[in-house]
Amino acid sequence: MKQSGYGLILLLVMLLPPVANLLESIMITHMHMQMPILVIAGFLMAKFFQQHYLQFFAKWNENGVPGILLFTIIMAYWSLPRTMDEALTLTSVEAFKFVSLPFLAGVPLRDSWPKLSSFWKHALIIFFTILFLALGWLYMWSPVQLCNNYLVIEQITLGWGFISTAFAMVVYLVYSYFMDFSKYE
Amino acid sequence: METIMNKSGKTQVIREKVNKVLGISLEDARLTKSYLSVAFLAILLGGLLGLLQGLNRAGLLELPVWLNYYQVLTAHGLLLVVVLSAFFTIGYFYAGLSHTLGGLLPKVRKMAWIGFWMKIFGFVLAVIPILMNEASVMYTFYPPMAASPIFYIGLVFIVLGVWMCAFGAFINVASWRKRNPGQHIPILSFFATGVFVLLFFGSLPVAIEVFTIIPWAFGWVETINVMVARTLFWAFGHTLVNIWYLTAVSAWYVIVPKIIGGRRWNDLLTRIVVIALVIMNITGGFHHQIIDPGISEPVKYMHVFMSLAIGFPSLMTAYAMFAVFERTARRKGGKGLVGWYKKLPWGDVRFLAPFIAMAAFIPAGAGGIVQSTNQLNQVVHNTMWIVGHFHLTLGMSVVMTFFGISYWLVPYVSKRVLTPQINKLGVIQTIIWTIGMVIMSGAMHWVGLLGSPRRTSYSTYFDNATALSWDPYLFFLAIGGTLLMIGVLIQVYAVFYLMFFAPKGNTEFPVAEVEEDAAPTPRWTERWGLWIVCMIVLVGMAYVIPLVDFIVNAPPGSPPYKTW
Repeated sequence: MKQSGYGLILLLVMLLPPVANLLESIMITHMHMQMPILVIAGFLMAKFFQQHYLQFFAKWNENGVPGILLFTIIMAYWSLPRTMDEALTLTSVEAFKFVSLPFLAGVPLRDSWPKLSSFWKHALIIFFTILFLALGWLYMWSPVQLCNNYLVIEQITLGWGFISTAFAMVVYLVYSYFMDFSKYE
Repeated sequence: METIMNKSGKTQVIREKVNKVLGISLEDARLTKSYLSVAFLAILLGGLLGLLQGLNRAGLLELPVWLNYYQVLTAHGLLLVVVLSAFFTIGYFYAGLSHTLGGLLPKVRKMAWIGFWMKIFGFVLAVIPILMNEASVMYTFYPPMAASPIFYIGLVFIVLGVWMCAFGAFINVASWRKRNPGQHIPILSFFATGVFVLLFFGSLPVAIEVFTIIPWAFGWVETINVMVARTLFWAFGHTLVNIWYLTAVSAWYVIVPKIIGGRRWNDLLTRIVVIALVIMNITGGFHHQIIDPGISEPVKYMHVFMSLAIGFPSLMTAYAMFAVFERTARRKGGKGLVGWYKKLPWGDVRFLAPFIAMAAFIPAGAGGIVQSTNQLNQVVHNTMWIVGHFHLTLGMSVVMTFFGISYWLVPYVSKRVLTPQINKLGVIQTIIWTIGMVIMSGAMHWVGLLGSPRRTSYSTYFDNATALSWDPYLFFLAIGGTLLMIGVLIQVYAVFYLMFFAPKGNTEFPVAEVEEDAAPTPRWTERWGLWIVCMIVLVGMAYVIPLVDFIVNAPPGSPPYKTW
């Protein structure tokens, strides 16, 4: 239960205007630092919801697929340049970001992950690898500024951030494909 | 097929038992002896060159034109930073792999030999231009200073040799894990795995750097991106430093408790320290570039945080070490709040040297934290303070641990014993080294604060009063350096005496056991692939922003400079 508290504190810290302003002032820290931290905050808080709404999760997220689908939709939505721009311009969208990433992405991720079969887990990582490669390509090679709020150089930096994260995921996929853990355990 | 597998598995089990009873096989011993011999010859030569520099900086010795200060400085750095450290680390860990994993596999041994000769070949290639005064670029061989291309080609062979040894170690560990399902990698081999992972990933950036430098040094391309090259260099340079540190730490956790008759501190904590150091190390390179132009202020602040994070596992180590000392001493009847220290074996060089090394890491680590801080770094960056810092960390914390290791490792691989006389000599050597290094490093720190620059041969700057005021400290530097040279001579004598002339006998490889009531270590500590992925993600976090900036907003670049 302690970790749910830490998750809440993390979310509150991220909500502080100076913290939010700092992280949102750079494109890559907005997308690759603030947003994942919000998901992590939700991931930590999930314990609280799992214990208090046992029935709800058992009924609606029996095999983990609905939860992971919700997680994927939310994550894909926040990967779009347009949504980042809107979060900076419209307060309602900014509020939606601080609600959706912890509670609609972080919480379902935690509830779903242990329920998923290894097939779904790998499918998800493969999906995000492809998504990240595509987004990396988009942000790096786009001839125009994609966000009103960020310069082209920041866009290229974010593109490389996507590519390096995708590279790490590829390494993980190759590692888990070639490693037969049963031989060692 | 399966029967063959079973058979070879059984043979391996028998070999492991034989290894435990009879000690290291002759072939594995020869490998480690060769690596250690090169390491200690390097310290002999490198130490001598260091003395020449110390005497020059004190204004006591003018170097001849055919062997100038910067040549000596380059060779001193290369011999001690690359040759001594790499050869000792590989020799020590290969002996450890052989001992804890039941002997090296024949193909791994072959790989280590190929790696040995590649490194020697590379080193010879690198030394020729240094002797010809064509490569006085110092150990920090980044642009815009350019050496002869032969120098860089030599470095490529050194890196390839190191990779050979790294992959050899991975193959041996993987094969052991397959034969011992469900078991944890023995702790010393766990350290070895961490060190070789770092050696491989840490030398990737320098390999890229050198491959961009070679065409530039040949004149095939006109300019080079200096900031990119410097960044790639320090991603390696810093990791290399921490590789020796991790090697020393392995002895503190695993060997020292056995020598004092105690047991190892928490196995899980030890493994977490290794994993944390492996994941967080490479990004530390940026704190060497705090005053570099071209890196924006926010990025520098991020890197201060990333660098200080590396200090955390070191604090865990400090805690664990003193906990082991106290626990062991109390078990032996030690009493009082600090009175228990009397029960530790102070007369045993195998304990004394690593202990002083550890104690030295307290001021050394504190100095490191000072330098990682932006404003303080600006005060000391180009001064002798930095030289004092790395002589305290490497010359004391790391090298003294290596010395302590040599007093049991050399007899172990030579099937000889440590005699009481050599032990006594070792204690004397440890004291001389400690005094020498405290004087030299202390003087360097102090004179650095007074503004004396590093990487500069002796000059009074036209008898400028400030520059003249440095002289007394620089004398201390020379006195310390002379004591250290005496220490080197004693140490090298001890090593070769133990290798070839000491009485024959069996020496134990001292690996401490965990406490009897220790909790089992969780399985996730063995997921090396996952740690490597974490490391890649962290490296991405650290390097994407500045590198994209350096490349996209690149200046025209620099032609090669020969400033000497």
